Amino acid sequence: MNLARPERADALAAEYVLGTLRGRARKRFERAMRTDRAVADAVLAWEERLVPLAEALEPIQPPERVWRAIQGRVQAPRARLSLGSSVSLWRALAVASLAAVVVLSALLLRPSADRGEGAVVAVLTAKDAKPTLVASADRFGRYLTIKAIEKIDIPPDRSLQLWMLPSGGNPQSLGVIDSTTLARVALSAPADQALRNIPALAVSLEPRGGSPTGLPTGPVLYTGAVQRTY
Amino acid sequence: MAIDPARQLERNARLMELLARTALSDQKAFAELYRLTSAHLYAVALRILREAPAAEEALQESFVNIWNHARSYVAAKSQPLTWLTSIVRNRCLDQLRRREVETVTLDDDEEGVEVATENPSPLEMLLSGANARAVGACVETLEAGQKQAIALAFFQGLSHGELARHLRQPLGTVKSWIRRGLERLRACLDAAGAGR
Repeated sequence: MNLARPERADALAAEYVLGTLRGRARKRFERAMRTDRAVADAVLAWEERLVPLAEALEPIQPPERVWRAIQGRVQAPRARLSLGSSVSLWRALAVASLAAVVVLSALLLRPSADRGEGAVVAVLTAKDAKPTLVASADRFGRYLTIKAIEKIDIPPDRSLQLWMLPSGGNPQSLGVIDSTTLARVALSAPADQALRNIPALAVSLEPRGGSPTGLPTGPVLYTGAVQRTY
Repeated sequence: MAIDPARQLERNARLMELLARTALSDQKAFAELYRLTSAHLYAVALRILREAPAAEEALQESFVNIWNHARSYVAAKSQPLTWLTSIVRNRCLDQLRRREVETVTLDDDEEGVEVATENPSPLEMLLSGANARAVGACVETLEAGQKQAIALAFFQGLSHGELARHLRQPLGTVKSWIRRGLERLRACLDAAGAGR
């Protein structure tokens, strides 16, 4: 499979997404997707083009036994985030407001040329689905700046702690946010590297000074997907 | 079923939130995600696999996958429903691939594959889906053969060989319909700014 020519990779990506790339060729192409970023990006682009066509299908309710079978297989939690007291919070969070989308879009659609290099941005939303915190860093910056959009009241014996949620691993602390209007936390590497495999950030409520265990112990108050403008 | 853009934005935002919370092992969010999307995803699977037990299995495997990999969902790159649908489609196409391997020596069926015939037809779905995404004009630019081949491949999971038998056309013709149809769709979608 010669994927060196971009047109060829793109044509194969199209047939992969359409479903006509079959058999061993499909398997070989999937291996290439995992190692070649350009191939993976071509597939994502074709998914965005073709897959929405599936929305025309009339929905069909699957039998109840499917959900029961799924539930039986996802009982063991992977992350030790304490969600006990925040379950109702999450429930309330369920309705994401259009406002969040508008703020997000405004941030994300700003051309990266503004800053020359692009940025990493996460809008963290709270129980009312309102954007509450914005975490951002220049692409090569060593600091993540956290701005509160809404004023946050926390008890004096508590601190807010910011976490990275890596794909397939435990949350990693980025530090305690000691000011609720503007805070900066240092990154271990330039933002594009430090946050490379981090799809989302979260803020939890912890004892003053931060979690004593190295993992979130209190309710998770805000979460947001990490977006990149480059 | 045309979806108005504001509702679509709202739905996407909600699915993104639910995926983010699923990534935090939140079972309630996961249940809600299932409730909101399973009927759509089951329809996708049923069309491709044509048998309820196979479609149920694909749906189950897909959601276990979604639970385990919600953290790798990168909102910046995919619409949430596109990401979810792609997981289900890939699982179904994988099942078809295994089925092909198993039945290759048994399947001498001269009539070709059985294609679901209930309404609406794949072509009609292609058009209404396209309209929902405001790319109807692009699909309209495809020639009839291209349109039909792409619709059957996308909705029913037909391979090149199955398309050739079903449409009673030489394999080469069908392959070139698909290739040219995709190229044309891409050029049109990219020009309209809808592709990416």
